[in-house]
Amino acid sequence: MKRIPFLAWAALALALVLTTGMSSAGAFERQGDRKVIVFGGRQQVPVLDPHVRYDWSTRMMQQAVYDGLAKYVGTSATIEPWLAERWESSPDSKTWTFHLVKNAKFHNGDPVDAEAVRYSFERGLKLNKGVAWMLKDFLAPEGIKVLDANTVQFNLSKPYGPFISFVPWWYIVNPKQVKANEVDGDSGQKWLTENEAGSGPFKPKRWQQNVLYELEAVSDYWKGWPQGLQNRPAAIIYRIIREPAAQKAALQRGEVDIVEGLTPDDYDTIKAQKGIQIQDHLGMTTFGIKFNTAQGPTADINLRKAIAYAMDYDALVKVYNGAATLQQSPFPQAMRGYVPVPGIYRQDFAKAKEYLAKSKYPNGGIELEYLHVAGLEEARRIGLVLLDSLSKLNIKVDVKAEQWPNMVARGSKTETTAAMTSVYVTPVSTDPDAVAYQYHKNSWGQYFAMSHYDNPAVFDMIDKARAQAKWEDRAPLYAQIQKQIVADVPEVFGMIQNRRWAQRDYLKGFVFSPVRFTGEVDLYPLWIDAK
Amino acid sequence: MILYLGKRLLLLGFTLLGLMTIMFVITNVAPGDPAKLMAGPNATRDMVETIRHEYGLDRPLVQQYFVYVGGLLRGDLGRSIVSTHPVSAELLRYFPATIELVFVAMGLGILVGVPFGMLSATHKDGWIDHVVRIFSVSGVALPAFWFGLLLQLFFAVRLEWLPVSGRLGITTLPPEPITQLLLLDSLLRGQWETFGEALRHVILPALVLSFPCLASILRVNRAEMLEVLQSDYITGARANGIAPLRIVAVHALKNAMLPTLSIIGLRFGWMLGSTVLVETVFDWPGIGLYAVSSALSSDFKPVMGVTLAIGLCFMLANFVVDLAYSWLDPRLRQP
Repeated sequence: MKRIPFLAWAALALALVLTTGMSSAGAFERQGDRKVIVFGGRQQVPVLDPHVRYDWSTRMMQQAVYDGLAKYVGTSATIEPWLAERWESSPDSKTWTFHLVKNAKFHNGDPVDAEAVRYSFERGLKLNKGVAWMLKDFLAPEGIKVLDANTVQFNLSKPYGPFISFVPWWYIVNPKQVKANEVDGDSGQKWLTENEAGSGPFKPKRWQQNVLYELEAVSDYWKGWPQGLQNRPAAIIYRIIREPAAQKAALQRGEVDIVEGLTPDDYDTIKAQKGIQIQDHLGMTTFGIKFNTAQGPTADINLRKAIAYAMDYDALVKVYNGAATLQQSPFPQAMRGYVPVPGIYRQDFAKAKEYLAKSKYPNGGIELEYLHVAGLEEARRIGLVLLDSLSKLNIKVDVKAEQWPNMVARGSKTETTAAMTSVYVTPVSTDPDAVAYQYHKNSWGQYFAMSHYDNPAVFDMIDKARAQAKWEDRAPLYAQIQKQIVADVPEVFGMIQNRRWAQRDYLKGFVFSPVRFTGEVDLYPLWIDAK
Repeated sequence: MILYLGKRLLLLGFTLLGLMTIMFVITNVAPGDPAKLMAGPNATRDMVETIRHEYGLDRPLVQQYFVYVGGLLRGDLGRSIVSTHPVSAELLRYFPATIELVFVAMGLGILVGVPFGMLSATHKDGWIDHVVRIFSVSGVALPAFWFGLLLQLFFAVRLEWLPVSGRLGITTLPPEPITQLLLLDSLLRGQWETFGEALRHVILPALVLSFPCLASILRVNRAEMLEVLQSDYITGARANGIAPLRIVAVHALKNAMLPTLSIIGLRFGWMLGSTVLVETVFDWPGIGLYAVSSALSSDFKPVMGVTLAIGLCFMLANFVVDLAYSWLDPRLRQP
């Protein structure tokens, strides 16, 4: 028999090894007789502790592992009872009393009681990180009282109408577990970074930083499963895929069931493919080109109005291939108290030239810097739209990319803030104070306040509105705030881009909520409908 | 010899200190406030100060420098402000993935580059030589991230032969660690399916990482082989009737390998630095990806840690190359 060369045997062995276990595309993962949902996202989850940090990916996982007294549910972002079955407030909105459900339990079997709620809010306030900013100016740890095992009361230092809108983001931890794992008085921070003490529908199973985070379903979750026990997934895996091209490839191959980071062009090309559908919803993320209203040429309101009237607003929607809606107000449409402001700026070169003539630069002849976040292609294209629009006024635009940390650093001081900075902002609640307060002087130094807007009359209205208990008293103030901000034109009010995800069509239960960030999805109701 | 080794090691220590100082200055004068980023977009000033104080960022820069140097001498590279974990622990976690990728890539580079360099030299101006030379030019010209995306599109999406990214399938559990190198550990544990899956995942990123190195090795080896094959002792060997394959693979290659070894040593360090791009494209959980995600968050301690680690590896690799040189060339061992 002729000897087969060694290299041929080696090649055959390699081929066998490589082809072993190759799976067909379009298949979803399974564990036993239950399905596993795989979510592909760009951003890691560095810290699971709900009182230390939040961003879109982190909060998506926190929401799955922990519960709050209330929860934002559905497209209208209704605040629904969750750990609390009901609540009431005093007429002046200073005292809030929550009555807990009686069947909620932590993953280790301990009941979720009023003391756990008191401890969790106290912990969040004392650590002074993450969500603390939402309530720390109105609530002191001493103001949280346990009335009985299932009733907890919050006594605010001053009336705060938006209080309930922030409650859903404060998650409840098991104090016994946290205290048992404290190290050097750290309130359990080190342990809770990658461990959990929650009561939510999922609990961590595998935690591989920068690779994947697997959550296994809690089969006897106290609130039950909205998709039915038979359909609930075995687990959800959040897999890190950073590049849009890789996310698209993984979805097409069936390696993931839903992705969040595709480009507008990718969504258009992929939606026609068999087995794939696009979730496309009007969100609350506004885009604005913030002027430096404190220094430089853009401190001149007439110049700002000229730019606002010169901008090609239709092009903003085209940048997103039509998946965006122009703003009618500084507030997003889904925000409570939103009113469309009559006469909001649209392209009108006659008016642009009229205001330019009134400004200190009647013939243009200046160059303005436009900063956008490096890597955000849409923001860069918008810069080019601006460049083209302003060229007709003889104004040059220097379009520059900058890393986000550097942009935030520059925008924190008036002397270093660029003339124009593009910023996307997603409010954390549906209460209008979440947007209005961005225009308050107390917000100066933060990324959404890069315009350093300064109108004391507006500050007074904002302070007054947030202190009102009744919505009927707050609503007219917010209407006036919106109109005044538009009149002062601290920014070019751009558009609200649609929030989009691409998913396999067998994935069911997706519920959009405008109050969630970027790629954040409520994982709880998801399930796979396929054999 | 011992004196020589001692001098080289001392120089290595001073070079690392210089690298660390330069990196410390760069990361601290670069714009961006890591405490502010960690605190979140809505954080108040006092919340930012809480974090700044916790990580010692409110101390004077000079004090921070000496604290860092003191920590470095104890193996403490500081704490990541994003993950809150010690940087040294995270480097130990991510390093094996990078080492595995680099070793596979280097292996590809050597196993393909050296033989094809020999082949090209022995068939000078033939069609094999032309093809190989075109191949080697493209190797140094193609941008790694573009090449990686192209391979993903072709092999993962179009042909569906290989996975898109990652180190293992998401539902595959890694073998119990022995070396932390997935390929080796799965072989040692006898988990053939896991080995096959790990191999499938490493092929594309290793190919992308190895391509420039392979091209360099190929070119240098070809040039050296051409020169050596013209030598008198090779002519003498031929005249003595020694088999052509033995002349090329044993007698000529040994002398041609000296410059090739230098290239291999240099390329090892280059590969470690190039993992930044390749690991990002393929979501390979190594120190390159760790450095990128840290840099984008202005988390500078991990960036410094990765730079020092890569610098140390680069210096050690060249140190080993020097040793190999002296072994290959007896003249270097003489006083």
